[in-house]
Amino acid sequence: MSGGEAHVENSIWMRAVLIGGVFLAIGVLAFATMGVGVANVKHHTYEDAIHEYEDAKYAYEDAKANNASDAEIKSLKETKEEAHHHEIEAHLSYLTWRTAGITILLMCITYAAFIGLGGFLNSIYPDDAGHDDHGYGGDDHEHHGSGSPIVFSLGIMLFLMGFPAFQNTLGNMLSGVDANLGDLGLSMLGLVIVTAGVANWWREDLPFIGNHEQIATSDPFQGQHIRKAGLWVFIMSEVMVFATFFSSYLRMRTEWCTGWQVNAGNCEEVNMLTASDFLRPNGAMLDGLGGQGDFMTLLPGAINTFALIISSYTIVLALKTAKAKDWEAPSGFLGKLLPDQKSAVRNYLIATFLLGSMFIVLKLIEWSHLVAEGFTIGTQAGSIFYISTGAHGLHVFIGLLVMLYLIFKADTVGYDEKNGQGIEYFGLYWHFVDLAWVVIFPAFYLY
Amino acid sequence: MGEHETSGIFESIVEKLPGNYDIYFWNFVILMFFTLFEVAAVFFETIPGTEIEITLYAVWAILIGVGIIKGYGIAAYFMHLKGDPRIYTRTALFPVLFVLLMLWGIGLSNPGAVQNLPDWCMPNWEFASQR
Repeated sequence: MSGGEAHVENSIWMRAVLIGGVFLAIGVLAFATMGVGVANVKHHTYEDAIHEYEDAKYAYEDAKANNASDAEIKSLKETKEEAHHHEIEAHLSYLTWRTAGITILLMCITYAAFIGLGGFLNSIYPDDAGHDDHGYGGDDHEHHGSGSPIVFSLGIMLFLMGFPAFQNTLGNMLSGVDANLGDLGLSMLGLVIVTAGVANWWREDLPFIGNHEQIATSDPFQGQHIRKAGLWVFIMSEVMVFATFFSSYLRMRTEWCTGWQVNAGNCEEVNMLTASDFLRPNGAMLDGLGGQGDFMTLLPGAINTFALIISSYTIVLALKTAKAKDWEAPSGFLGKLLPDQKSAVRNYLIATFLLGSMFIVLKLIEWSHLVAEGFTIGTQAGSIFYISTGAHGLHVFIGLLVMLYLIFKADTVGYDEKNGQGIEYFGLYWHFVDLAWVVIFPAFYLY
Repeated sequence: MGEHETSGIFESIVEKLPGNYDIYFWNFVILMFFTLFEVAAVFFETIPGTEIEITLYAVWAILIGVGIIKGYGIAAYFMHLKGDPRIYTRTALFPVLFVLLMLWGIGLSNPGAVQNLPDWCMPNWEFASQR
């Protein structure tokens, strides 16, 4: 340690580059096994199921055309319906593996790009330049604050300005239509600036060991940590974002005649299917869609709810461990997972990270099933469902990217009772994401 | 989180529970239990083992009630608003005002807000057309 901050060799950042490489390897491996290997087997099963269904359908139609006996027609109809059921099951099973493989690959590429590029930029930074008091300052200087969030915001602004052209061009490229690569420029520039901003932010924060935390000197947050006050204001602005989604949803539902409204006697005929009609048992049906929900369709959402709550607890445990003055390693199997205080903090963060990643994978599997069953973004109920749950998923994913850095810091400089507030402030954001899900889950999945 | 000491009924109950687990652990257990309860309320049509029907209004009441309990558990203990200075809780005033504004908007723009009002709240159309 030098002065009020930890001494961090720039070469330590090469570890981040290596972690990026590990993520790429995991992503490719997961995609090869789940998205290609298992998914191809499932696809063959699906194709067989399609053929079986078509055969059963033709046999049933032939029997009807040839005036077969009622008993025979009834039996063939049952066979056809069973074959149809198998076909749907085989399709969903194929989608599950394919979506899981692709999602894990894309997530790992993003993780690798985020931590790998950030680490690489910092590793090529001259060693002396990191200790010029523009970071968290030395013993005699108060922390000056950081310009990185402004750089980061500028990058986000440029990315969003170029986003319409960016997504059009990507869409054209994926569908084989001629595309002007120059249209990707503005968004790509934005992403480069975002990466540079984030990398610089990390470089400033990594040596921070809890000295010179800025304290608010005036009302209303006088005496409080400025970072914490800022985070609460940010969280409250996020509450307003989600309140907008919910109010839109509630307003839309006042005009829909859903299964719930019919059951309550408020209207007679269902005119809108919500996601819950596809997911929960006894959901409403409309035009042959919906009403097929059972335990398995509700399961991904339910698992995700538990995953977020458990992850909220693991981040609490990470902070508690970091702040503990007399921490003792547990005995038995847990002792191997949590051998010392520094590793325990890191491993609790890794557990949180894995649970959050599982949340995203399950959410996208669930989406793929919903779309396959006819609940698309083209309907009013679909648009508000995908936008709201998608916005929430995006918050989870952004949290995971931040957590990558926390894990990196926990593994290098480490967290203790003095700088543990880094985990605490991130934990506030993570709990907020859990809190938002507490409302989203019943509102969209159960109601 | 870890270093925030709070006091109250829940805390005094936790102190008496066996196993020397802290308030965060019990909060976690309660959150898990209520989530299970919430999912079960929607999943089952009758209370398991009985023929007592779980009505629509009961499900709504459970969803809202459980949501409030879980929301409080997360905000008060995991986000430790209970042990922190009040100013952090007061930051919620902005979104609360915003949500009220949104609800007001839903109320005013809801078709039922015009067509399904009780008689005492409707304008006297007959009087207006005679003028």
